[in-house]
Amino acid sequence: MRHVLVALALLLSAACGSAPASIPVPTPSASPSPTVVTDFQGRSVQLPRSVERIVSIGASNTEFLFALGAGERVVGVDDFSDEPPAALKKEKVGGVKVNLEKVTSLRPDLIVTIKFSDGTIERLAAVGAVVLVVDPQGLGDVARSATLIGQAVGADGQKLADDITRRLQAVKERAATITAKPRVFHEVDATDPAKPFTVGPGSFVHDLIELAGGVNVAARAASPYPQLSAEELVRSDPEVIVLADADYGVTPEQVAARPGWSGIAAVRTKRVYGMSANLVSRPGPRVGEAAEAYAKLLHPAVFR
Amino acid sequence: MRPAVALAGLVVALVASAMLGVLAGAVAVDPRDVLAALIGRADAPTAAIILELRLPRVIAAALVGGALGVAGALLQGLLRNPLADPYVTGTSAGAALGSVAAVAAGGPALLTPLAAFVGALGSVAVIWRLARIGGRTTVLTVLLAGIVISSFAGAGVTLLIVASDRLSLRLRAVLDVLVGGVTSRGSAELVVAAAIVAIATVLALALARRLDAYAFGEETAATLGVDTEDTTRSVLVVTALLTGAAVALAGLVSFVGLVIPHALRPLVGARHVVLVPACLLGGATALVLADLGARIALAPAELPVGVITGLVGAPFFLLVLARSARSGA
Repeated sequence: MRHVLVALALLLSAACGSAPASIPVPTPSASPSPTVVTDFQGRSVQLPRSVERIVSIGASNTEFLFALGAGERVVGVDDFSDEPPAALKKEKVGGVKVNLEKVTSLRPDLIVTIKFSDGTIERLAAVGAVVLVVDPQGLGDVARSATLIGQAVGADGQKLADDITRRLQAVKERAATITAKPRVFHEVDATDPAKPFTVGPGSFVHDLIELAGGVNVAARAASPYPQLSAEELVRSDPEVIVLADADYGVTPEQVAARPGWSGIAAVRTKRVYGMSANLVSRPGPRVGEAAEAYAKLLHPAVFR
Repeated sequence: MRPAVALAGLVVALVASAMLGVLAGAVAVDPRDVLAALIGRADAPTAAIILELRLPRVIAAALVGGALGVAGALLQGLLRNPLADPYVTGTSAGAALGSVAAVAAGGPALLTPLAAFVGALGSVAVIWRLARIGGRTTVLTVLLAGIVISSFAGAGVTLLIVASDRLSLRLRAVLDVLVGGVTSRGSAELVVAAAIVAIATVLALALARRLDAYAFGEETAATLGVDTEDTTRSVLVVTALLTGAAVALAGLVSFVGLVIPHALRPLVGARHVVLVPACLLGGATALVLADLGARIALAPAELPVGVITGLVGAPFFLLVLARSARSGA
């Protein structure tokens, strides 16, 4: 089946390739030709020439829009968009489920959204706005997100992307000189402390841990946000535990009181730290800041 | 003498299944190291894995299964209905609503069993009222009432999930409540649950004689000198205590309360003074084994134990339903 698809794709591209002679090439003029970009869902998106009303779905997308100076033009955000503070004042368009009526009533000309697999993207497209899917997962996707959203709103996304890359690179170079890399457990959610959720390869936090000079104890997990059994956790004996669920009231004292956790190295040596989910759970423009914060926790003597 | 032999056999089965439960887990531990951990001679990580993670989980499974087994025996005796159990009557669903509400309100963990008890008591009281309409309890009324109560409680749980940030961000954990899952619990929770189950079982034994009289109908029981009003109320409270303790620990575990009394009656007879302890042991054994299955079936992923009990229990339920329909109940 896959071969057939590949063959079909080749045929199509060949057909397109042989065509240019018959297609009139537009001459560059005052009004630039519409830009077509490929978004994170592989869709070809023709960007609007000017964007006045933006709906942003996804906390990282909202942060990018504000960082690119397009905050004024954002008319609606999803319930999870809480940064920067100005985003809190925008109209809300829903959380886990997007409220399509609300989105429609805001008359957006651009909707920047994370991925949905339940048909939300198609329904958003039917609203009449241009829909751009931006859903960074790994650290490498962050710069591309900045560039893409910059293109869409007519801002210098490349500069923001370069800034982010430079900051990450600085942390990486300093951490590379450190030979003693602590084993790290990053807790996303431990409502059931016997099976806490953590980060695995493919998630940007996993990339952050490795970049900041740590070794993720879930490095061999099969998915970006796996569940680790407490048995495996005790066996892997992390030297640092980072609580990304600290905002929900999880404290180092609670961690120490969980059945089986008291003997873990990080608990014994009191290297259990809360970290704001707002900073470390979204691959947005502040990811450089997150890398620096992480590096400080792992190597307080080197990163001050 | 035969009941004593059967009970002894059930004790042996429980101990054997518990040993299997402690041997299997997410990480491989040599059986000799397991033994060393149990007698306090293992290294710290192994001791933590066996004593603080696996053993409490096996104990939790045993408590949940035992509680549901006894609750099933009580409900079947009281309603004279072979299909009654905490799950199909909606008692568990009421308990789940109570426990989810306690979590949503952010109360301390030890409040959960109490809230679950209140929810279970509410459901079981409604079942009892509905089941008595027309003077006699029929299989159908009890099942229909159970469906209604379960959907009401289910809607309540969904409402709480949508309305509460605390829960909507923890959908996975709420799902575990709805499908039924055993997990390693802290010793405080286990001690509370064990105390509830122990007290409730003693109360159930005290009610055993009077429940036996119910086999011939409530009126006959009354002519035999049983205070039926008082007995009924006591049985409902004890059932709610057991269901609440089970749901607070493991959520909605289906069909254990149905299958266990059925499976054991041919073995130990219908006298509650034997049936109740037999169901405690048999239910405990069954759920320890089901939890073991849940852990190893798709390892390293874990199934909620309710998936196992549902897959095994639902066909059993249909068999009993068909049989009771044929006998014209």
